[in-house]
Order: sequence, then C-alpha cells, then structure tokens
Amino acid sequence: MISLNDCDPGFKFEVAAEPGGAGIKACFACAACSARCPVAGHREEYDPRRIIRLTLLGRREEVLSSPLIWLCSACYSCQEVCPQQVRFTEVLTAIKNLAAKAGYAPPSAKQIAGLLAGHGRLLAVTEFENEKRAELGLPAVEERGADYAAILGIAPEAAEAGEEA
Amino acid sequence: MTIISTPVLILGGGVAGVSAALELARRGVPSVLAEKGPRLGGRVRDFCCKATQACVHCGACRLGDLLAEAAARPEAAFRSLALAAEAQREGGVWQVELRPQPDEGEADPLAQPLAEKTTVNAQAVILAVGYEPFDPRRKTRFGYGRVPGVMTALELEAMLGQGVLVGHDGQPPESVAFIQCVGSRDESLGNLYCSRVCCGFALDMAGLIKEGWPETAVTFFHMDVQGYGPSWEEALPHMRQAIDFVRAMPGEVSAGENGPRVCFAGPDGQPRSREFGLVALSQGLTPPASAGALSEMFGLNRNQDGFLGEDAALAVSGAQGVFVAGTAQGPRGIVESIDHAALAAGAAMESLFRAGKEAAHG
Repeated sequence: MISLNDCDPGFKFEVAAEPGGAGIKACFACAACSARCPVAGHREEYDPRRIIRLTLLGRREEVLSSPLIWLCSACYSCQEVCPQQVRFTEVLTAIKNLAAKAGYAPPSAKQIAGLLAGHGRLLAVTEFENEKRAELGLPAVEERGADYAAILGIAPEAAEAGEEA
Repeated sequence: MTIISTPVLILGGGVAGVSAALELARRGVPSVLAEKGPRLGGRVRDFCCKATQACVHCGACRLGDLLAEAAARPEAAFRSLALAAEAQREGGVWQVELRPQPDEGEADPLAQPLAEKTTVNAQAVILAVGYEPFDPRRKTRFGYGRVPGVMTALELEAMLGQGVLVGHDGQPPESVAFIQCVGSRDESLGNLYCSRVCCGFALDMAGLIKEGWPETAVTFFHMDVQGYGPSWEEALPHMRQAIDFVRAMPGEVSAGENGPRVCFAGPDGQPRSREFGLVALSQGLTPPASAGALSEMFGLNRNQDGFLGEDAALAVSGAQGVFVAGTAQGPRGIVESIDHAALAAGAAMESLFRAGKEAAHG
C-alpha cells in the first residue's frame, strides 16, 4: 500500500530537469524495457518499469536510497525497444546523479570518484605503464592530481578517503 | 472528356462514403460517389461477423444493409475505378477531375466503371478515403515477415472469416498471442494516438477463437484495454476469465522451435519468454496513403496525427465546401464511421443550404 501523503509530486520534475531525464514523463508503463533487461534476468528485484513508476509516483526516498538503481549495466536494450523514447538508461543516470547528491552513492561509486580525482583515470599510472610507453616511443604520463580534483570538484583528501573506502 | 454536375461529390466508396451518399439520398440530395478501386465496401468487405453466443456489435454486417439500400436509391450514383487527380474551386463550385483506373475485370453490380476522364462540378465534396493499416515491418522487433507464425490481426481476420485457424506449422495452434498497439501510441514512430478499434477487434477475434477452438489458449499483450462501443464493460470480466491478459508489451518476437517465441516482462517485472503457435500483431490505423495528395489538392489541413480535416465533431475541413467522413479523419470503428459519415452529410447539406440562401439574396 502506497500512501499519497508519502509521495513527493515534484520528484518526477526534479528527475526530468536533470540532463537525460526529460523522457521519463512519456512512460506508458508498457514494460518493453523490463522484457529486454539483462539485469532483470539476474536480479529478481530489478525492474526498470517499477523504478519509473516509483519515480513518477514521487517515491523520492525509496528510489534514491535503493541499491537497485546502481545495478544498470548501461547496455541500452531498454532504450532501444522503448516505444515512447523514455531513454531509461539516461533517465537512470539522472536518478543516480540525484541519489549521489542526496548522499546515497554506494561505496563503489565513491571509490571510483576517488580514483578519478586522484589519478585522472580509473587506474594509477605506475612505472610499469610508463616503461611500456617509453618502449613504444610515447611520452610518460604525469599525474596532476590537483587539476583532476579541481575539475571534478572533489577535494584531494576526500578523494584519498574514497580510495581507501 | 465528360462533365457531370452534382450537389455533392464523395471520394471513397467504403462504409463512410456509401453511408454519406445514402444519408444525402434519404433527404433527396443527389450525389456522385467516386471509388478508386473496382468495388464498393472498402476494407469492411474483408471483415467477418464476430458474434459468438450473441452479437458483439462489431458492425461488419452493416455494409450489406448499406449496399442493399444503395441499390434502391437512385439519387446516389456510384462510379468505380475513378481516381481524383485534380481539383480547383471556382465561383463556389469544386471542379474535380476524375481519371479512370486500369480495369482488372472485377466488377461491382452497383457501381459503373469510369469510362473516360471526367470533370465533376460539385458544390460540396466529402472525403471518405479511409485509412492505411500500419505496416508492422516497421516494428522489426515483432518479427513480421521474418518469423513464421507472426501475422497481422487483419490476416488472422481473413483466416477466421474462412473458418480456419492455422499456426506457424500449418496446424491449428495450441496457443495464440495478440500484441496490441503495434504502430499506435508509439512516440518512436511519431504515432502518438490510440487507434481506438484494435482492442475491441482483437478481443472479438479472441472470442471467436475460444468459441471455435476452445482448447486454444489465448494471451493478450497490452498496455491497457481501450474499449469503444456498446456492451464493452459487461463483456470484459468474462473475457478476463477466458483469456490471459498480460499487461506488458513484448520486447521481441523471434523464431522458436515450436513457433514464434515472445519475450516479455511478467507481472513481477521479470523477463520471460514463451512460444506460441501463432502471434497476431494488432496494427494501428494510420492516415490514408492519399492524405498528402488530397490535402494539397483541396488546400486543407491535416491534424497533428496526419489525418484529414480540422474539426472531428463537425466533420469539417479547413477548406470551404470540403468535409471529411470516417477514418480519413481519425481512427474509428465501423459503426462510428457510419455515424460520422451522416454528420459529414449533414454538414455538406448545411453548406448547400447556405449557398442557396446567399444566391437567393445575392
């Protein structure tokens, strides 16, 4: 049972205002996305149609705090079959951005953000990589941590903390 | 080159066009109806009676009544193999040039084939040019033309009309699936509208299947059931017992070992797939193929969905003295088309009356 008192009618507009989120309001709940979702085939709680319905109903906390929204593999199958051009993969990115702002990003996402802020990429560049590059006649890669952190808006300490998490 | 003068010219000899001609004739207004094909009756000729224990009011039988009445109304003149090619308005009169179409030997007892290029001078024109069924090949994921056992709802209709039901392997199928909204309510195709008739059409056919082949399981994939027409709501609870209603649009139809394999989301949101002996795609109604040419010829607007005319409730178009009847204006069923044609005939008569009054005062 869902009480409308617990719903935030502005939530869908918040999602629609995020980049890529505008398509959500066109959903007819036809479930073509759920039919084609490879993740749904592995995790029975995962259902794109359900995530869209909860968002349209305004179940803000339930959606943003859900670990399920981070399971999307971004294969775009849902987007391909959607007759209403909801672009669910992009809608979900919008929802994940809102979730991250609300502090619901999972540890793995924080860790990835930390790696990015610390190294400018998802891997630290070590002597091994630079030796290989030298063999191929490529210049060595220098890490400029302060620049990355400034671009991403994450303080280096937070990035370090993220790396440890 | 022949010249005919008539108060009203009707383009299209389907139920809407014939109904409009009859409505005028009943009130003593003569008309000329031009049908581009060899026969009157349009697409309704291919529809069969959907009655099971009782009449379901599909309207398919109304065509016979209309044609029988048409034979007894000399005010309505029917011309077959007559295609409107050009039109211009001069002094309150539309001059429409009809061109004869190749005769393939199929004659209609009521209609006289157009022998030569003919100009019809008419004060009012009713466009009753019908619709085009959506081509399901455009929705490639439903496998039409590629997966054996996938057919259109109209093809299934033609089969049931012959009292036959065969699936992918030429045998009566153990299970039949209907997929709704193929080409309707689909932003990716630009068809945002509901085609209004397909739910009733598919469920009536499902009823025929359950009646004639009670062992055959029927599944109905849909977004929501849109019912139009009488006794709809009383019939639905009974249908829900006989037919498996799945509230999901399939993601894909592919060739399986025992017939077309449909992948869809179950009620729990989990993807699953099931093979059916036959899959019928309920294709939507799209604007008539001639909509572009006619809107240019008569200088009239098309609505946001591409159908002809401006005001459905008044059956009027944007052009003076031009009226739109039936599915040319938007998706509607047989009975609704007949009613809408009467509306168009009424609007055309009003315009004749007004023109007569102006002439008298003028």
